[in-house]
Amino acid sequence: MEQAALALEMLDITKTFPGVQALDAVSFGCARGEVHALCGENGAGKSTLIKVLGGVYRPDGGTIRLDGREVAFSHPIVARRAGISIIHQELSLLPQRSVAENIFLGVEPTRFGILDRRTMRDEAGRLLRRLGSSIAPASLAGDLSIAHQQIVEIAKALAIDARILVMDEPTAALDRVDAGRLLDLVRKVSAEGVTIVYISHRMVEIQAVADRVTVLKDGRTVMTTTLAEAPTGRLVRAMVGRDLADFYPPRSSLPPGPPTLNVRGAANGQLHDVSFEVRAGEIVGVAGLEGSGKDALARALIGDEPFEVEAMEICGRAAKPGHPRAAIQAGIGRLSDDRKREGLLMQQSVRDNATLIERAFAPALRSPTAEPMSPQSTDKRLIQLDVRAASFEQEAQFLSGGNQQKVIIARWLARDPEIFIFCEPTRGVDVAAKAAIYQIMRDLARRGRAILMISSDLPEIIGVSDRILIMREGTLAGELPGGATEEEVMAIAVAHDREPHAMAS
Amino acid sequence: MSDQQAIAPAPAWRRYSAAPPLLLVGSILLYVGVALWTGQTRMLETDGVIGLLQRMVGLGIVALGQTFAIIAGSIDLSVANLISVAAVLASFIMQGRADMMLAAVLIVLAVSALVGVVNGAIISRLQVSPFIATLGVGLILQGLLSASFTDFAGSVPKEFQLVAYSTFGVVPYSVAALFALAALASFVLWATRFGAHLYAVGGNAEGARLAGIRTDLVTIGAHVVCSLSAGLTGLYLASRLRSGAPWVGRDGVYDLESIAVVVIGGTLLAGGRGGVWGTLAGVLLFATLDAAFNMLGVSAYPKLVLRGAIVILAVAVYTFRTRGHVA
Repeated sequence: MEQAALALEMLDITKTFPGVQALDAVSFGCARGEVHALCGENGAGKSTLIKVLGGVYRPDGGTIRLDGREVAFSHPIVARRAGISIIHQELSLLPQRSVAENIFLGVEPTRFGILDRRTMRDEAGRLLRRLGSSIAPASLAGDLSIAHQQIVEIAKALAIDARILVMDEPTAALDRVDAGRLLDLVRKVSAEGVTIVYISHRMVEIQAVADRVTVLKDGRTVMTTTLAEAPTGRLVRAMVGRDLADFYPPRSSLPPGPPTLNVRGAANGQLHDVSFEVRAGEIVGVAGLEGSGKDALARALIGDEPFEVEAMEICGRAAKPGHPRAAIQAGIGRLSDDRKREGLLMQQSVRDNATLIERAFAPALRSPTAEPMSPQSTDKRLIQLDVRAASFEQEAQFLSGGNQQKVIIARWLARDPEIFIFCEPTRGVDVAAKAAIYQIMRDLARRGRAILMISSDLPEIIGVSDRILIMREGTLAGELPGGATEEEVMAIAVAHDREPHAMAS
Repeated sequence: MSDQQAIAPAPAWRRYSAAPPLLLVGSILLYVGVALWTGQTRMLETDGVIGLLQRMVGLGIVALGQTFAIIAGSIDLSVANLISVAAVLASFIMQGRADMMLAAVLIVLAVSALVGVVNGAIISRLQVSPFIATLGVGLILQGLLSASFTDFAGSVPKEFQLVAYSTFGVVPYSVAALFALAALASFVLWATRFGAHLYAVGGNAEGARLAGIRTDLVTIGAHVVCSLSAGLTGLYLASRLRSGAPWVGRDGVYDLESIAVVVIGGTLLAGGRGGVWGTLAGVLLFATLDAAFNMLGVSAYPKLVLRGAIVILAVAVYTFRTRGHVA
């Protein structure tokens, strides 16, 4: 269908990171004025591809063509000048600057070297009106709602005459009405000849707005097709349909013990009416899309952003942890999904990292190397978990992702809490370490610990969990037994209230 | 992933930094070199060396405390003003009377500890950046002090002057005290839970908090140690000057110099890494520069230029070595 030069063409793009083949000969192209949806699971390579397009990463191989002309972006600014504008999920407006200043950031109009504020304001107003919006150019970006900030982001792209506009999960933080308006805007901008690459998990939106869709999986292009030929069911299967690797440890054949964690009707600003239990010896997976509340649930349980309506029992005793220290004392351990920011002391030794929890609770006058924090016992735990490092004196930052994760597990093993909350336990971890971490989790369960695994990695949720809880819009939307299909989980996770069973296939 | 199994042969449990020995050797070479160059070999005898060490005491004590604040990921700009407060308060309370010595020392230390609690609480509870919080507290202290005293206030008794002027054999009390405090500080950092928490909070405050460490108490503790060290420096200056004046701390530039020597000593300005021996080596380097310039008979201003260059060079070297953000 595309004889004329495509507006954007990416051919055989390959990108390798240490230990990970992020993109393996990915190709896709969009015609002028097309809305092209890009979908795939987390880790499928969407964001890497976008970063290559935006000049953030340089591809190891492959070519990018704009209107048939080959280009190479050495820096994001080069890509921007070539007419590529990317609206990231995390909006990048400067909250303390006006809307007009944001729209013309980096391309400010000047007269005789002096900032031409009037032109800036007038032009910003014109761009916003073109988008059918009445946002005042003089208002502060930080005062706007997320929906209005999205519109300013689009105006920002138009201000540099972007020919390719990439939108990464633009509706993730919007409610249904605003999401609908945004989709109208997407159609309007594409009708003006701008090519739009639209990344989303929400099938309903993709069906509504996209002309064609490309599905990525494990860094490869699985298919590119027109939406007419791709009913939702086929898309979801293309996204998730993989051979389940057999590295998941066998489930326990014993029935689970008494409930260790019991939550009834808990709520806070982001969660409402959350009820579930986790029994001793059980691994319960929590699935859900970005913003579904699964991360908020972890933060609430550990007392970081605690439940306000409190109904939590640990081993039959009421618990109301108001901060992380109290939660740990009550018997909860949590492995953060952000090892770097919330977990490791990057410049301190493996041993220091592995003793952090015990040191936090050691009596004031206890030596930091007294039992159970001595190098001998710490090393025993580290060796037991098969942590590989040049030496346990090595700084944590030099370890691989899998070994870093094991060091954090070692830190909790010393404490041995009743309940382990694993958040994205294998994010940024290679396959061998993944299998090892699953085995560790299963061993903990076998020893009678209750395990809650919060993960965006569906195969992992399905392969490891005994039961699967699915969250949507701040509450539990459903429960499935372990071994349910990815389609079943996704069906509950992506269902819009408007169309509760749109995903059933 | 390496195949080699990780069993380190039970070593000292923390890597030692190369900074202290290098600075020590550099200082000695500089000192000896200048002494020989200018023919002042008398400076290489006991008295000369003791004099050099004596130069370290004032800055050294407060820099030990500053090391704690910086390791915990904080910083203290109020130390110079607190030193003035401590010196004036000590001599004002003593008024030359030996029987008031103990009371004066206790009051000065109590006031210092209180300032530390205030600094730490503003930073950890009100979430004000350490730079601003301690700058503000420092200005308040200086304002209160200058409003109450305009000149040398009171005096310290002969007995108290012994602190600065008496010796064990050839070693002055004050030099011995500096090294004893450094040994104590080193012990606290390496061998107590509090020390481990300081590194944890400075290395990753969020991670430490989620691990159950009471990060606010750790920050307050670091600032109490830092302020107490400033109080001790104030007492030392009162003893040495025989009286306290409201400008002694500011004139010594103890705030910026204490930060400079900590950083030169290899402690990360961002926190989480470092130690007191590096700081002490940095203090020695500054004292050596003073002594060298004196021997050369050069005015004080080129010395400032050199100090500035050394601070920049040191941080650049550490940054280059770790290829990361240092200061």
